[in-house]
Amino acid sequence: MARIELNMSLNRVEGDLEIGLTLDDGVVVEARTIGTMYRGFEQIMIGRAARDGLVITPRVCGICSTSHLFAATLALEHAWGVTPPPNAVRIRNLCLIAEGLQNDLRQTILFFAPDFCNARYADEPWYADVVAAFEPFRGALYLETLAATRDAVKIIAHFGGQWPHSSYMAPGGVTLPADLRKVFACRALLDQFQQFYERRIIGLALDAWMALDKAEDYFALLDAPGHGRSALGLISRAARGLGLHGAAAGVGAMLSYGAWRDPENPEAPILRSGFYDGAGLAPLDQGQINEHVRHSWFRPYEGGRHPWRGETIPNYMPDGERYSWAKAPRYGDHVVQTGPLAELLIGGDALIASIYAAEGGGAWLRQFARMRRVGHELVHARAMLDQLAANLSGEHFRAPEAEPDGDGYGLTMAARGALGHWIRVRDGKIEKYQIVTPTAWNASPRDSAGQPGHWEQSLVGMVVRDPDDPIEIGHVIRSHDPCLVCTVHMLDTGRKIHFGP
Amino acid sequence: MTTLFWLQTGACGGESLAILSAEAPSFEGLVTSHGLELLWHPSLSHAPMKRFDSLLEAIESGAQTLDIICIEGSLITAPRGSGLFDSYQGRARIDIVRMLAAKAGHVVAMGTCASFGGVHAASPNPSDCIGLQFDREQPGGLLPPEWRARAGLPVINIAGCPAHPHAMTQTLAALAAGMAPRLDALNRPMDFFNTQVHQGCTRNEYHEYDIEDEQLGGPACLFFNLGCQGPMTQAVCNSDLWQGVSSKTRAGVPCFGCTAPNFPRDADLFATAKIGDIPLRLPAGVERARYMAYKSLAHAAAPTRVKDKKMDV
Repeated sequence: MARIELNMSLNRVEGDLEIGLTLDDGVVVEARTIGTMYRGFEQIMIGRAARDGLVITPRVCGICSTSHLFAATLALEHAWGVTPPPNAVRIRNLCLIAEGLQNDLRQTILFFAPDFCNARYADEPWYADVVAAFEPFRGALYLETLAATRDAVKIIAHFGGQWPHSSYMAPGGVTLPADLRKVFACRALLDQFQQFYERRIIGLALDAWMALDKAEDYFALLDAPGHGRSALGLISRAARGLGLHGAAAGVGAMLSYGAWRDPENPEAPILRSGFYDGAGLAPLDQGQINEHVRHSWFRPYEGGRHPWRGETIPNYMPDGERYSWAKAPRYGDHVVQTGPLAELLIGGDALIASIYAAEGGGAWLRQFARMRRVGHELVHARAMLDQLAANLSGEHFRAPEAEPDGDGYGLTMAARGALGHWIRVRDGKIEKYQIVTPTAWNASPRDSAGQPGHWEQSLVGMVVRDPDDPIEIGHVIRSHDPCLVCTVHMLDTGRKIHFGP
Repeated sequence: MTTLFWLQTGACGGESLAILSAEAPSFEGLVTSHGLELLWHPSLSHAPMKRFDSLLEAIESGAQTLDIICIEGSLITAPRGSGLFDSYQGRARIDIVRMLAAKAGHVVAMGTCASFGGVHAASPNPSDCIGLQFDREQPGGLLPPEWRARAGLPVINIAGCPAHPHAMTQTLAALAAGMAPRLDALNRPMDFFNTQVHQGCTRNEYHEYDIEDEQLGGPACLFFNLGCQGPMTQAVCNSDLWQGVSSKTRAGVPCFGCTAPNFPRDADLFATAKIGDIPLRLPAGVERARYMAYKSLAHAAAPTRVKDKKMDV
């Protein structure tokens, strides 16, 4: 085994993030997000058999392993020129959605909402309701969410055998066909989840919810008894009461690779992809993606490099200008944000567009978009099951006719946003593998031109009332759906304070 | 109350997510019905990070009793043994792990990463990952082979990538009840590692008659051509189904042997190395000459419905 420390690649995936903040009289004037962990996945891939990415890369992330499996599969299909049959696309969509259902509710109810139970808010009119709903291991909605999300991932187990970390998608399709038993078992799980969503999360029927298309219609609902008592109603009341709808918008540019694929035309996403520059929408051009390392602990190179030309050679220098194990991805020269807000705004959700036009995108709208996305997930999951039921004898796998050397990429919207895998296959082996995760975009450090990343920009201007308990920063950072372990460093009058989930 | 502290090191979070799929008992059931007091969990704890810091201090000083420490993730030792490729507040996480292990009644490695090094220790092991008390197959990891926790057991290795939800919650429930699990030679609790993944696989009739798939997507056995490690891997995947529903091999995904110390093996993961027509690695304990004779007879005896792969799985 070769142990060469200076020849490793970075995990800039989920995991440990620290954020350095500079406070001026309690106001954030500068923020630095610091990736504090390096695992080296891309290095581990080099020299392995082409398909091994289907096993190795889901292990990048325990909460979105299905999305990594999908991106790895797409990258190989692109390199090999393989098109999967419609039923395979349907099963892939269904499983991606099931992973999204668990993520979106767990993130919202287990990770984001408990912040409102902070004792600081004890005098707020919504406090008692929030504690009754979201208190960890006691709140009613907290416990119901644990149960509902446990059932959601059973859909993946039906087709993939287990969740997380299975490898049931492969170039050419999926490993198991749909059959009557699985279709109706999944339908029962989905119906049950939908009832929970309607009754407890949004407080109205899914059809009526998806038909909402104007900001004022949603704001009127906040006082209606059904929605007002629901999880989302409660979160909106608390978050908007604290001004989070007008805070921490971050950068205006957004990126979506498009969600799910059209079974009859697997190149095309169901929710469209694109780049929104803050004014208008342009088609996605993956050639615009590049990564900078000017402020990262990697061997320096000039400017940005496209992932196919990228390199990740560690060069750990803790005391200089460089401060993170994360690279800085850019779209052209643009700093972008990605996630459910980008996915739905670019994807054409009229309600999200209307609210965004009315008051911009703050921390509340990012969280709201995540809860709104669940509605889209339910609609499309049901469509996939209905289509499978109508096409039970359809193919689920076509073995690739050839496995030539080549380059490929796979782009998808994971729960946290735009996820891309880039692969280069030579002599049947992986010669290069690069992964650019959603959190890499959002939590990016500064680039070669000194432009801060999206989180870094979104934090500037935030007022922190109590540096010992900087709950405001928690609301903002969690509204981005950070990965499991996130730590915030606060630098104020020489003190260093940590904060995290 | 039995106090439990959960720490992530070089991890993907897979065990923290998988344990939420446990139903008997569930993770929340451990807290509500099995007397576990969750001092800290990185993704579920409500308290701010200063609580994490004060807990570490209290455990180190002895003011807070620590009954169980769960470690999730590889122990990252790079660069040059310092562990700073995975740091907290500039302190290497492996140093925090050493401190907690010295204080804990039981140390539980949640998953193959914490047990043996896992996926991050795959060649070329870019961040010099090891397990808590093993380095892949070799005894001795962050802690030496002879090391014992306060209650007398070595590190309890709940291997798997991720670990099986019930292997995690049932072991924790047993520890909370004061039971000492029997461990195998790899220090895995025998209640969960004394059956082969192969046992209970719905493809067993194909296996029995040596009817093998050569491509993914079929209904037959994955052992001869597609790299399945089910007959050589100890885990409950096919006897206590994942999410109560299925398993990878049932779904047509080869077992990758993720509870073994050499996971992921240094070879094509979707291929079976063979001598002639017979896999190089045979089911645990089987003699090659007899196996060849048996397979040849079995293949000839296969009923048409199996030979033609007409049976669903």
